[in-house]
Amino acid sequence: MAHFDTEYQRLEASYSDSPPGEENLLMHVPEGAKSHWHHIENLDLFFQRVYNLHQKNGFTCMLLGEIFELVQLLFVIGFTVFLANCVDYDILFANKFVNHTDSSKVTLPDAFLPVDVCSARIRDNAFVIFVLTISGVFWLHRLLKFLYNVCCYWEIRSFYINALKMTMSELPYATWQEVQARIVEIQKEHQICIHKKELTELDIYHRILRFKNYMVAMVNKSLLPVRFRLPGLGESVFYTRGLKYNFELIFFWGPGSLFENEWSLKPEYKRGGNRLELADRLASRILWIGIANLLLCPVILVWQILYAFFSYTEVIKREPGSLGARCWSLYGRCYLRHFNELDHELMSRLSKGYKAASKYMNCFLSPLLTVVAKNVAFFAGSLLAVLIALTIYDEDVLAVEHVLSSITLLGVCITVCRSFIPDKHMVFCPEQLLRVILAHIHYMPDHWQGNAHRYETRDQFSQLFQYKAVFILEELISPVVTPIILIFCLRRKSLEIIDFFRNFTVEVIGVGDTCSFAQMDIRQHGHPAWMSEGKTEASIYQQAEDGKTELSLMHFAITNPQWQPSQETTHFISQLKEKVHREATGGPSDTHPLSLSESEPRSLIANVLVGPSTLNSVHFSADGSLTNHAAAGLGNGASALRSLSPISSSLQLRGSLSAAHRPSGHTSTTSKAMAGSGTDAWTVSSGSSAWEGQFTSLVLSEYASTEMSIHALYMHEFHKQQSRGELSRHTWHRQESDESSDSIPDEVRSEPNPHSRHLLRSHTFPTTVPSPCAIPTSASAIVSTARGQEGAASSHKSSSQRPFSGSTADSFSAGGRVLRSARGVPMGGWAEEGQAAPRHPDPLPEEGLEDDMPPHMHKVT
Amino acid sequence: MNCRSEVLEVTVEARQVEEAMLALLHTILLHRSSGKFHYKKEGTYSIGTVGTLDIDCDFIDFTFVRVSSEELDRVISKAVSEFKDALSNTGSDGMGQISLEFYQKKKSRWPFSDECIPWEVWSIKVNVVNLANEQERQICREKVGEKLGEKVINVVEVINRHEYLPKMPTQSEVDNVFDTSLKDVQPYLYKITYQITDCLGTSVSTTVRRLLKDTLSL
Repeated sequence: MAHFDTEYQRLEASYSDSPPGEENLLMHVPEGAKSHWHHIENLDLFFQRVYNLHQKNGFTCMLLGEIFELVQLLFVIGFTVFLANCVDYDILFANKFVNHTDSSKVTLPDAFLPVDVCSARIRDNAFVIFVLTISGVFWLHRLLKFLYNVCCYWEIRSFYINALKMTMSELPYATWQEVQARIVEIQKEHQICIHKKELTELDIYHRILRFKNYMVAMVNKSLLPVRFRLPGLGESVFYTRGLKYNFELIFFWGPGSLFENEWSLKPEYKRGGNRLELADRLASRILWIGIANLLLCPVILVWQILYAFFSYTEVIKREPGSLGARCWSLYGRCYLRHFNELDHELMSRLSKGYKAASKYMNCFLSPLLTVVAKNVAFFAGSLLAVLIALTIYDEDVLAVEHVLSSITLLGVCITVCRSFIPDKHMVFCPEQLLRVILAHIHYMPDHWQGNAHRYETRDQFSQLFQYKAVFILEELISPVVTPIILIFCLRRKSLEIIDFFRNFTVEVIGVGDTCSFAQMDIRQHGHPAWMSEGKTEASIYQQAEDGKTELSLMHFAITNPQWQPSQETTHFISQLKEKVHREATGGPSDTHPLSLSESEPRSLIANVLVGPSTLNSVHFSADGSLTNHAAAGLGNGASALRSLSPISSSLQLRGSLSAAHRPSGHTSTTSKAMAGSGTDAWTVSSGSSAWEGQFTSLVLSEYASTEMSIHALYMHEFHKQQSRGELSRHTWHRQESDESSDSIPDEVRSEPNPHSRHLLRSHTFPTTVPSPCAIPTSASAIVSTARGQEGAASSHKSSSQRPFSGSTADSFSAGGRVLRSARGVPMGGWAEEGQAAPRHPDPLPEEGLEDDMPPHMHKVT
Repeated sequence: MNCRSEVLEVTVEARQVEEAMLALLHTILLHRSSGKFHYKKEGTYSIGTVGTLDIDCDFIDFTFVRVSSEELDRVISKAVSEFKDALSNTGSDGMGQISLEFYQKKKSRWPFSDECIPWEVWSIKVNVVNLANEQERQICREKVGEKLGEKVINVVEVINRHEYLPKMPTQSEVDNVFDTSLKDVQPYLYKITYQITDCLGTSVSTTVRRLLKDTLSL
């Protein structure tokens, strides 16, 4: 076998890599599903649950809370039945004697009936059986709900832990904004939503608040029948949870509702073609649901009582006064809610306004009742004193029949009476209070301003801010009233509702059908009287009332600084921010902080900002004298927004933070520079993402609410000035809405919605036309009251204000745009005030609103 | 909601329904199929080949490409002919909709069954017209051919977009993403449903399910 030695050789290397048969195949590495969080089916529900878990402070808290609720409910039902049926009260009250061999003492078990007697008594009582059955169903329902929730939220919990990398223990201390930022972040990795590469904050809000936004819009456009003119009671609002539940049932999720599923409106409702037919169908559905409500009335009633009992016993137990205390009504929450505002945001806003609101309501205690209450309290008090004195002398007095009970009763009586007697140190300054309230609640009908002292305003405000007792009472009569409202009021509106959903639903990619108002598009829904003049193309029907679009937009932009809106919107926001900023910085920059607020009473924003900015500077200055300036600046400047200063003092922290983070140059010693730089820091951090990561988001959100308050006040101020020029339009609207308020127009699209303009109608509107400009700001309210004191010491509000309405109006017309007018040059009616005020420096303490008011306007009661 | 949906609309003659539907469904499936996966030890896999086949239509001037898999063709043809029968039973000018839904399965915890979550739905709305004479039919033949051509380009455009697709699965998960029952080709999990005349309202079962869910949720 010859062996040729040639240069040609077999190439071996290329074949040795892969096994035979698969030489040319490409090899892939599967990514696998690293997590199962990609592509979630029902994002609406998912985000809602993520939000709920966050609000409930984590899984364990939620679980424990729900378990205890279940046990509590069982206990309440069981104990009530036991007390009603199984206790022999004769033995307890010692009307009947038990024979004991060893001792004469009656023991508790003696009073219990034997088991068989007890169960027989329960079985014979049909009512008890009825209640027990419903309670049983109620409890089972809650149990099922609980079990279902545990399964669902376990998933969410692992989402938090695995995807968001947040443990349950840190969840209570994380803000929603933080959670949201992480969700936005992981979308890039996991693609929770498959439509988009990136989620925006607005998408998440839209999904969580889809139906709530619709409800807010419907209340805003006065579509829902919640206000009624009752004979004898005047106009009143009736909106309970039962009614709300029914509305949601009809519109959103009940059988045959307008929505196909959680995210899309049924296609036939999007077309205008057969709107009449659809309206008929809706009307008949409402009728049937109304009838069902009527038939189920007793069941719902017991259910409601259980619910009420369940929700409120604890509160009443803890603080007996809370029944008398007020709460924001359900209607108020809808009316005051921004578009795209989550529950916790709304609640924190309203809670901040709570104190001022209750003070405002307490201003209006009836003098007659006070006189009576004072005297009743006197007599009851003397009796009580005698009884207590006797008891202290010899405790056998307690053994006398009914002494203990009468002591208790007298005590209760005195407590009740005391709530009718106003605080001795209370000052009557409703205009100021209302302004403070406005800073937090952000919405208010136009005609309230300048009429804060009127009883009508108070009545209308009480629709938003009602007694808790009234709230519970309304809930209890709701099962009876709800079907009536559904059948007689809502049914007539079916066409309007159909039109509403057609006209105001937009499909957003990656979100589904949402309420178009919630897009917060100034061009679509802006109101020309609310700073979007020239930018809006909306017809009157499309405009959101009370500047809701604009205020919501500002609110959303401020709470979510990372959000990137469209060009136009960005422009609007930055323009507004710039205006507010200019007002803010302009004032402090060329005047001494101390004199600023006096010489510039009209520039409210400047006043507000003096507080925070000087506070800021004080915080990192070592100069003692400056502290004095700043304190004075705060005291004077922020007096209008008294309740803001606790918040703004939180800015101190922010200020110090910013001082720490800012490069340098903050230790300037002149008050001017400091005020300027302080405000700078304040505004710079406001909207830009440059501050992300430097502040904890908690600080950010605290601070955002203050900023929003300022913006809201500014916008209201601006609106007031603008609407003065448009009074004709308002009155025209007013007339129209009066004429047609009782008849439902058939053709909504052809005419502007007549119910829309004045959500809260006042009978006094025509007479109060000039007054909005009479008292432009609370600062001027102080002015007028101060003058009232200096001049004729008239205690009557309206008369003391009247002389000045002329001069203020003059100054307005002279200054043109008041908020922008030249600073430091007092004009018109203010000139005197600029000098007058320093005569009463009144260094104001920080605590307590009433202390802060000028001390000369005591309401004589 | 969390799923893309594309709608195609065609107007055809009764005898063209079957071919038109096959053309569109096969076109979509062609782009949503891959070769069989062969998994290797170290978490890698190789992909088999997919053959294609040109199909000429009898009643339309049109040729489309489909995956050369008889099994897949059988499944699709069966669904389409059912749809055609249902459509012809309703009367002369029927309206119908056939949808091709791609989904993936998700394993759930014990009390719940596995979820099928759609990620892309193609709805083809069909309008059946009656034509009077042969000349019109001839015109229709060409017209429909052109239209289908447009639709195919449309489909390709949509598929070309860089959008969400389920991630390539590991061996254990391959059944959650791909339909592995076929021998020669492996399309994404799909479901074909049809509906004759768009009926109003949701079905009773979904309403009941929603009611139940709603009472249970917070």
